Parts: sequence; structure tokens; C-alpha cells
Amino acid sequence: VTLRDKAAIVGVGWTEYSKDSGVSTLTLALRAIVAALEDAGLGLGDADGVACHRVGDSAPAFAVAQSLGIGDLRFHLDQFGGGSNSAAVVGMAAMAVASGVADCVVCWRAINARSEHRMGGTGRAPLVEGEFQYQAPYGYATPPQQFAMYTRAYLDAYRVPAEALGQVAIAQRSWAQLNPRAMMRAPLTLDDYFASRWIVEPFRLLDCCLETDAAVALVVTSADRAAHLRQVPVLVSGAAFGGGHTLYSNRHQDLTTTAAAEMGPRLLAAAGVTPADIDVLELYDAFTPLVLLQLEDYGFCAKGEAAELVASGRTGPGGSLPVNTHGGHLSEGYVHGLNHVAEAVTQLRWGAGPRQVPGAEVALSTGQPGYVAGTSSALVLRRAG
Amino acid sequence: LNGGGSPLPVLDRDSRPLWEAVARHELNVQTCEGCGRLRWPPRAMCGTCGSFSWRWTPASGRGQVASWIVNRHPFFPGMAVPSVVVMVRLDDADDVLIPGGWAGSPDGSGLRVGLPVRVGFEENSEGVSLLVWRAEDAEDRG
Repeated sequence: VTLRDKAAIVGVGWTEYSKDSGVSTLTLALRAIVAALEDAGLGLGDADGVACHRVGDSAPAFAVAQSLGIGDLRFHLDQFGGGSNSAAVVGMAAMAVASGVADCVVCWRAINARSEHRMGGTGRAPLVEGEFQYQAPYGYATPPQQFAMYTRAYLDAYRVPAEALGQVAIAQRSWAQLNPRAMMRAPLTLDDYFASRWIVEPFRLLDCCLETDAAVALVVTSADRAAHLRQVPVLVSGAAFGGGHTLYSNRHQDLTTTAAAEMGPRLLAAAGVTPADIDVLELYDAFTPLVLLQLEDYGFCAKGEAAELVASGRTGPGGSLPVNTHGGHLSEGYVHGLNHVAEAVTQLRWGAGPRQVPGAEVALSTGQPGYVAGTSSALVLRRAG
Repeated sequence: LNGGGSPLPVLDRDSRPLWEAVARHELNVQTCEGCGRLRWPPRAMCGTCGSFSWRWTPASGRGQVASWIVNRHPFFPGMAVPSVVVMVRLDDADDVLIPGGWAGSPDGSGLRVGLPVRVGFEENSEGVSLLVWRAEDAEDRG
């Protein structure tokens, strides 16, 4: 049994990206889903499954299903967790349609992450239960702090200079300048990077993702049905889940390697590809170092060499290893990883305009690589035909 | 204690004895009765041998800095910045990582990965005992 190429993404929808949507999170979700169904040439009556991941702000899956008027809901998933689940949700939707459990599943992520509920703190009480009880009392609870703790160990172990983090932000800003949807499009220099204020060392403001009010939705159906729909199908060639290590798992001797190191080979084997086959990479980037870590842990370069790879310009526009062609969470906007899947689909449909990677056939789209939460997920997507 | 204004821990049935020991200025870890592995934070079962039997064991209180952060943005109302949080790898077991406050400079100067440290205890403004790590060779300031 294999999932390879059995399911396809056939529709993509976005709301406007803003710092204050002025509408409810549920409204954002519904607008993106309706746009994605229209993009697919499908109607409201075609969706029989719903799937999203949630932490912080979200629209409940049941409320979305009710609003869409789905009377016989064949698949529903309200996956607790952060960006490590963005690819997982699409992977589970693919499993649902490939196995015949459902026929057409809408996946989304909707958040008023700037105007209403800022991730990890402001606007809501911080988490002080579970593992957080051991760190929150020291003022250590929010995402930038958690990722900064891992990042210090990585920078130290591989002697990665601070400039390397800045180069990630710069490369992605270069892509964002080619993306009308991107919220941050002004050119960025290393001087700008070093002038940006400290948030939590070793992170400056420009190491951190944006906080965005937005929703993104995808429509997933079987490859057979996809062949008769409006858009070039984007096949789910592989989906993988991974993880197991956290600071508190009693298994984490090495803080400098993510879950992608174990999951990546499994994912690529499931999809029948190697790193050399992948034309475009959409790597989860809540913070700059995640790009470096994933380039290494997915096997695009050796451990400790990603800084040089990014500084060489190869991951930027015109480079041979395009990474985060929409600008990522750092410059396009923060839609908790689902905008990375949407960008991969856009690239594989050859619809990315001035930022199009010529002839892109295969994309890797990843969730958060396993720091903090200890789980991860990723997809290999392929243009049909 | 650094990080003033930070939230208080919410205890659960697994963690309560650990926090009660910290209030007595003791740092404990679990020792698996099945395979002898040390475990922290407390959990019911050993992920190595599957045993549900364990006992509390006093930790050495010594370790090495695995990583640290320097808070520059006040993440909580009233939080002092800059302030340091350290993650310590316990000498007793290289896969036990314990966070805590830092008795040294609030800007993190002098910290490095691998720095030998030992645990101390301090009460926060609410009277809750917390862990504060200090350099092994630092003068004991209580």
C-alpha cells in the first residue's frame, strides 16, 4: 500500500493578508475555503471533509463544516498543534481521499494572529501547564524564546556566524519583492539586519516571522477525480510524520539536529525522489535558523554548511536551490505553514509569475522541523503529467 | 530572580512532589526501578524499559550549560530585561535537561556552552521556590 500520487491538491485560496482583518477568524476561514473551491471549479456541495491544525487562534473544524453546509461530514480533523502539523493536515486529508473515507477535503489555517491573539502570549494567558510549568516561571514560554534556546546550541556547535541568520532573511525578502501578496517587500541588507532590535538573543526582530491576520485553504481530492478538474493537479507524492525528541523527552542529547534528519529520508523514499530531484523548497520558517537546519537535515548540504549555501545566493531568486519563493513567514506572512503548501502548489502549476521557478516539477513543503513540539511533518508534491 | 512578572507553574499529579521538593530546596529526579535510568521531568512510565516503578532520587545539582537565551523584549508585564534563562544538562544523565534562572550577569556575559554549573534555589515575588543556576566556580551568594 502506498499513498504515492493517489491524492491531489486541486484548489488554493487566500484571503487578504493584513495586520487587522476586521473580521472573525471563522470568516477568514470561510473566505479562503470558498476561494479554493472556486479555484478548483468545485462548489460548496462538493466538500465532504474538513481539516485544520490549531494552536492559539483558530476557527473550529465543526464550525467551518456547519457554515459550509456539509450535511454528511465524512472526514473531520481539528489537529491540535502548531506549525509542525501544517503538512500533516494535508497528508491526512490525502490519506482520507486515497482510502475512500472522503471524496473532497478542504484544509485551511485561519488566524487573526496580529489583531486578536498573538502567538504564545500577548492577548492570552501563557501556557503554564504540562512541560511549560518547568520553564514559564523563568519568563521562558513564547515561541521566539523556545527557538532561540535551540539556536544558540546550533550556532555554537557549528560556529555559524550571526550573518548567516541575516542572509536567510535577506534571501527571502528578495523573493518577497517578486510576490504581490507579501507583506514585507522593501529591500533588506545585512546592515538592516544588524540594526534591527534584539528580541531574545540570539534573535533580532528580523529573525522572527511576521504576525498576520489571514487564511489559506487547499482542496484535496483523489488523483482520479483531479484529472477531470479545472487546474493542473498537484499530486501528493509523499507525506511523512516525524519527531519524538523534545528538551523534556529524556532522549535529546543533540539539540542541533531536528526531526527532519530521520523523517526526511523516509519522506523522500516514500515519494521516490532524492534531494537532487526537488526543484523548489518551501521550508517552515518561524525563525531564520529553521531554514539552515532543514537544508542540512533534509540532506541538501552537510551539517554546518547551510550558512555558506544561503550566503552564496543559491536559495534566492535565480539560484539553483530556490527556498521559500513566496518570502516565507519572514516576509510574505504567517499562516502557520499552510501558505508554504499553497506556494508549492502555485509553483508546480507554473502560476507564480515573476517568481516562478522555471519548469518546476517537484516541491518539498515542510512543517516545523520538530523543535519545541517534538513532532514534524512534510510533503513531497509533484506536478501531474 | 530574573524574569520577574513571569507566570507561576501549574502543578499536576505527576509534578507536585517535584515542586514540593524544590520548595525544600532539593532537586530530585526519578530513577527507574526497572532499568535504573534517570528521568526528568517526572512521568509515570520509563520510555526505555516500560516499567511503571520508580523512586525519587536526589540529583547531584551539577551540570553543564547546554544553551541559554537573553530576554531583551519584556515578554510578560513587569518582566526584567535583559534577563537570562539557562538550559542545563545534568551531570547525572546526559539526556536530562533542566531550565532555570541564572545567578550571573543578566546580559549573559561569561556564559558558554559546556560551562560547569550548580543548582541553587530562590523564591520569586510570590514566594514560589525556583531553580537558579550559577557557575561552579562562582562565589556562593546563597
